[in-house]
Amino acid sequence: MTEKIYSDVIKETCIKYLHKSGVTVYMLPMAGYSSAVAQFSTKFGSEDNSFSVNGGAFQKVPDGTAHYLEHKLFESEEKDAFSLFAQTGAACNAGTSFDYTQYYFSCTDNFRKNLEILLSFVQDPYFTPENVEKERGIIGQEITMYRDNPSWRVFTNLLEGLYSVNPVRNDIAGTVESIAEITDKTLYDCYNAYYNPANMFLCVAGNFNPDEVIAVCEEKLKSREPLDVKTADFDEPIEVNKKRVEYSMPIAKPLFEIGFKRAYKGGQSEVDDYIYFNILFDIMFGGTSEFFTEMRDRGLVNEEFSDGVFSGRGHLFPFVRGESPDPDAVAEEVRKTIRKFKSAPPEKSEFERIKRMTYGALVRDFGSVASVADTISEAALAGINPFSVINTAAGAEYGKMLEMLANLDEDNMCISIIKGEDK
Amino acid sequence: MMFYTEYDEISRADYAAAAYILTDCCKRFPSYSELSKRLAELYDASLNSSTSLGTWDKRCTSVRASILADRYALEGEKLEEEMCGLLCECVLNPNADNGAFDEQVTALMRSELIDTIDSVINDKAAYAAQNAARTAFVGEPQALSPNGTHEQAEKVTPQSAYKAYRKILETAHIEIMCAGSSDFSAAETIFTRSFSVNNGIMRHDICQTSIIPSPLKSEPVYVSDTMPMEQAIVRMYFKAPDVSDKYANIMFVMILGGMTMSRFFRNIREKQSLCYYCAATGSFYKKYLCAYAGVQPQNIKRTQDAILSEINDIVENGVSDEDISAALLEIHNTLTTLYDSANAIGNWYLNRLPDNEITTPEQYWEEIQKVTSGRIQAVAEQYKLDTVYTLSGGDGE
Repeated sequence: MTEKIYSDVIKETCIKYLHKSGVTVYMLPMAGYSSAVAQFSTKFGSEDNSFSVNGGAFQKVPDGTAHYLEHKLFESEEKDAFSLFAQTGAACNAGTSFDYTQYYFSCTDNFRKNLEILLSFVQDPYFTPENVEKERGIIGQEITMYRDNPSWRVFTNLLEGLYSVNPVRNDIAGTVESIAEITDKTLYDCYNAYYNPANMFLCVAGNFNPDEVIAVCEEKLKSREPLDVKTADFDEPIEVNKKRVEYSMPIAKPLFEIGFKRAYKGGQSEVDDYIYFNILFDIMFGGTSEFFTEMRDRGLVNEEFSDGVFSGRGHLFPFVRGESPDPDAVAEEVRKTIRKFKSAPPEKSEFERIKRMTYGALVRDFGSVASVADTISEAALAGINPFSVINTAAGAEYGKMLEMLANLDEDNMCISIIKGEDK
Repeated sequence: MMFYTEYDEISRADYAAAAYILTDCCKRFPSYSELSKRLAELYDASLNSSTSLGTWDKRCTSVRASILADRYALEGEKLEEEMCGLLCECVLNPNADNGAFDEQVTALMRSELIDTIDSVINDKAAYAAQNAARTAFVGEPQALSPNGTHEQAEKVTPQSAYKAYRKILETAHIEIMCAGSSDFSAAETIFTRSFSVNNGIMRHDICQTSIIPSPLKSEPVYVSDTMPMEQAIVRMYFKAPDVSDKYANIMFVMILGGMTMSRFFRNIREKQSLCYYCAATGSFYKKYLCAYAGVQPQNIKRTQDAILSEINDIVENGVSDEDISAALLEIHNTLTTLYDSANAIGNWYLNRLPDNEITTPEQYWEEIQKVTSGRIQAVAEQYKLDTVYTLSGGDGE
């Protein structure tokens, strides 16, 4: 059974198809493109580190398990998935986030064969003590590579500072110590719980025939007994965990990232907040803002300064980040600017200008096959309409942004700083 | 717009600053804030510039603009026309008077250029690449960062940056590339008109585009650097100054470490679990290849040996039909995907500029299919080890 979802704003149609196994499929064919991208995702990320199945006891798994499982799923008893894709020419990979894991390919030829490979290997785990052990060194290397990356460190330290118990505060790949505890059984337990079809989404964009996707799904998707899988709840306080986190490593100029914590509401509210925070923070701190001009002239920030919104299941916060000789001074100016805007809100014309910019950036995403696949996957995983974000941006209202500004607590913030150390 | 000029060492920072100034403001929008507001009105259009070492051993000052196709404008605006006009204004009518850029803008760009130069240390892989290049390409433009040094950047003045800018306009070999969803008739009209106007630019001594292969050292040079870090980075440079089989060279680098199931990936990462990444890149025009990996410090030597062993294996035994087939399939996928992205197809043609004849993706595909294991083996035989560089926390071998 298929359903067509049309966006008046972007003039595109997305086809939704619910397979009998429970997998939800979203397809957005794009005329005039050569390539197609297919993404097969499960709502299982690093945040899902404690779960129960069918009302049983909660099982805690080591940090980094979702990422470890992603690495190992490419392997099979015969030929690994990379080798199979090498025979078709598709570019394939996978990624683990805080709240999902995704396997994908991009191709211009052999679309059907590639889709068959993707659906098959993700549904066919092969974990042994030996192959799990073999991967430990590779993942250990990946972990140390990220630990040497100051931009990643400043961001993950901010998450630790903002959140007290929300598992988003734990590094996606875990630590060398935590992954040492992962076994083939850990991986099978998680796989059986979270790679249940009802927890999974297939999203396809670009040059393909939707009927072919449906035919391959009919042939390849396996039905499994539905499970009631629950990730452990947590009671995250509204206040930030720490106001300030500082760390030293070899860098040229201190890096900082400032996040503003707010209560997570879920659903369309998160889409609204995502768009309105984007517009509001661009007005206050973007390239056209007085703040940016003044701070840049004073040498407190440089062209690396930016603002944005970080969002996912269970978390959403607006942030500013950059390089500065005095990050604490920047934080103080950021707070002052928010207070200034609260007492003298921005003009409607400024709102309209930034709204147009936000809309333009989202439209641009619809010009890339990979971006479209990302957009519909993110929407599917969040349980919202694939065009929700761009529709919300196009219809954003000045009054709602002012409400957002009034409710923003400029003191409920954390600053993460990476300072340099001697070589 | 790509402006290719001679690569003199001393003025690097002046050219880099000039490039940044051009897209920070212009005469009509004399501050970053004003220019940004205009770009925001144009649906988040982007305008940026950079200085890099072009394919030809020349400095490449590029100024790029991108904007939505006209059909997405909410009020029927002619976006392509607007953006091309703005791009020309930035390049031909900058915020400058009496032979100097604006003082305040230059001071800002100087400061940000210094930040950019210093911040390479933040990215360990880029830092290793920059340091390794000093040895691998000693005496050649590749050895020097296009942005210049911290000390050079401190000396940039409104006059020196403007002088570099004028030299770009007067002497550059210029390439203009348009790609995307348009017939670009509006762009052509605007560019033709803008560059036809007598704006006092006297063109002379136009940069001659040529490329010289990187010479092979008589003995390999080994360099090690240390800094506080957890992972170690290995970079090994091989050179073949006389290699002439372009398509076999491309296949060799790809099979070795440039594709999903490369020899490096299969044997060094997957079989030996030595690293998270191990890959190869190179330039047929400069006749070198670089193998690089991120490894545990105690595995530096083993990884170097493994890289050498993979190359030796191809020298001795050639490559398998499966290797060739996988490389061709991946290349075909990449070539056909080019047409889905304006940036990708634009870069395709820019990267072909050093060739005597510009090849289309289809012509390239025809040629690369003819490559055999024997031709790849012949190319591999010509590569000799030139430089080995390691960056580590200092606890390695």
